[in-house]
Amino acid sequence: MDGSGEDRRTALARFVTVIGGLLTAGVASLVGLVAAPMRLTTPRTWRRAAAPDDLPGNKPLTVVLTARDADGWYETKKQSVVFLDRDASGYRALSATCAHLGCRVKWDDTQAKFLCPCHGGVYDRQGNVLAGPPPRGLERLNVRVNPQTAQLEVEL
Amino acid sequence: MTPRAEALLDWLDDRTGFRSIRHVLLDEPLPPGTAWFFTLGSILLVGLGLQVVTGTALALYYAPTPDHAWDSVRFITTEVRLGSFLRGLHHWGASVVVVAAVLHLIRVVGFGSYRKPREVNWIIGIVILQVILAFGLTGYLLPWDQRAYWATVVSINISKLTPVVGEWVAGFLRGGPEVGALTLTRWYALHVLVLPPVLAGLVAAHLYLMRRHGISGPVRERRGTPIEFYPRQAARDLTMAIAVGAVLALLAWKGAPALEPPADPTASNYIPRPEWYFLGLFQLLKYFPGKLEVIGALVVPGVAFTLLALFPWIDRGKSRAWRDRALILGAFAVGLASIVTLTSLGAMDRPSTAATGAWNVQELAGAMLIDTSAQCATCHNAASAIAGPIEAGHIGRPADWLATHVVDPEVIAPGVRQPPATNQRDTAAILAALARLRSAPAPEQDPSTREAAVLFNRNCLSCHLVDGIGGVEGPDLSHVGRKYDAAAMAKRVNNPVDVKPDAEMPAFGGKLTPAQIQTIAAWLAAKQ
Repeated sequence: MDGSGEDRRTALARFVTVIGGLLTAGVASLVGLVAAPMRLTTPRTWRRAAAPDDLPGNKPLTVVLTARDADGWYETKKQSVVFLDRDASGYRALSATCAHLGCRVKWDDTQAKFLCPCHGGVYDRQGNVLAGPPPRGLERLNVRVNPQTAQLEVEL
Repeated sequence: MTPRAEALLDWLDDRTGFRSIRHVLLDEPLPPGTAWFFTLGSILLVGLGLQVVTGTALALYYAPTPDHAWDSVRFITTEVRLGSFLRGLHHWGASVVVVAAVLHLIRVVGFGSYRKPREVNWIIGIVILQVILAFGLTGYLLPWDQRAYWATVVSINISKLTPVVGEWVAGFLRGGPEVGALTLTRWYALHVLVLPPVLAGLVAAHLYLMRRHGISGPVRERRGTPIEFYPRQAARDLTMAIAVGAVLALLAWKGAPALEPPADPTASNYIPRPEWYFLGLFQLLKYFPGKLEVIGALVVPGVAFTLLALFPWIDRGKSRAWRDRALILGAFAVGLASIVTLTSLGAMDRPSTAATGAWNVQELAGAMLIDTSAQCATCHNAASAIAGPIEAGHIGRPADWLATHVVDPEVIAPGVRQPPATNQRDTAAILAALARLRSAPAPEQDPSTREAAVLFNRNCLSCHLVDGIGGVEGPDLSHVGRKYDAAAMAKRVNNPVDVKPDAEMPAFGGKLTPAQIQTIAAWLAAKQ
């Protein structure tokens, strides 16, 4: 094959490689853009949780909060469990989601501790880790008394 | 390439032999003269690959249940990033695949490439075409809108025509007593789990056999040395892929056809139309009434596909030149022309409502109102720059759009102050007439009949049944002319208590003029 034929072959090969690569990349990025989730967190809002008088005082109050939430085309009822408590410094709201791997922790009356049923995480009444694998304490949620309704509200 | 990278590739080649795979894939020797016609198969392959990719991306958001399928497709179209484009790509991609498959088939027939020793690959190709059509059919149901639902009902009923096992086949496709949730999951499974590996296997076999026997090349063999696939033919393939891809992207940018209302088994005013590549079959069915239907539905397509499959055995000459194969090419051309003709006829026949038969009083009243409405004519006239005249066969807006427009033209056509109808009954009549006008012009009626229809629709229809439409509080008036003449009717309409002391019907003597009452009475008296 003469020189110009070889040049032509090389040019064609480059064309095929570059354009083919670009097209493949284009399709791949389309899929990537489509596949990337559009929203991974729900904006937080204040939710009514309980009346201040509902708190027993000697232990945290377990509250299940339900909210309607758009889950893509699906409207779901999202339920969250929160522990409400009160001490000298005011009200406290703790998430019931274990800081280790997300199991739902429970208040144990006899031990007066939060126990995680999965891997043995133990938290005190303030949510601090006492034992087990959790890397940090239970998440503290913002809590307030709504001045209009005098109800306890949690930001979730 | 650095020596180190070279060494790594050498190691990989030693362990996997990837260079020989690359050699097998790219250095395929092609007969001299192989050119653009031979890119069609590659386009088909690229199209199928794109369907796999876009289909997978759609599946990330799609839910195959009657409760959510429609919503999830709406979500994809309106809310997912690039979702409308993605759905457009998949929708129009299906058409690209069908077109590419047919063009590839035409190329193979034209070049006589099905000849010995490529018979098996020819048959595999025909099966691939059928699998592609099965993809189209099963994918059609998934959006679960009216179009999807009714097209599926029809195709399942066609499957019933299969001799002996028809009921079983239909039952298997339906998955339950009715087209519903069980059908949707079933067709979804077929579309995304069953057909793809079947197609992949067939395509792999097709490509393997293509390589085994080599490309057939031009009709008249040329002298010269074979040319390697890469890079010359690859560049042709790629150029075609870019061209087809550009057209596809353009189509997809406008999105897939809008979702129709969600599937509604009770809708009586909906006429289903299949996707364009089934329009030929759809049209064919119309020519085989009653028990003969099986001929149009299964026998004709079956015979056509069988004949096609037998091409290598029918056409066994040595030369692939056209003039030596006049018979088979002629037969193929006739078949192709028939499909094109049937498809065009099917495409031209597009009524959008199921209503047939004579126009009822409400529809007649609506036609009269449309014709005489100054409000409609403000915009809908031949000279208007705003909107064309209201003409039979040219009404494409969906029913809900029309309903909004008729009640409040301002919403859709700013500047139009007055709606054509000021009461619900006139509105209903106009909408009923528009639904009929989609497919056929209003029948000619003398002016008194048309006026009677308007008056009857406005004043009487809510209580009285006529020709199958109307209320049931009062007597059915479909044949009232057998009992009363016009004078007796007029008396009853004017003041029913005059004739029947305990009549519940209100008197119309004060509401309608004597001339109007006469018009209604005469029209009713003619109802024999």
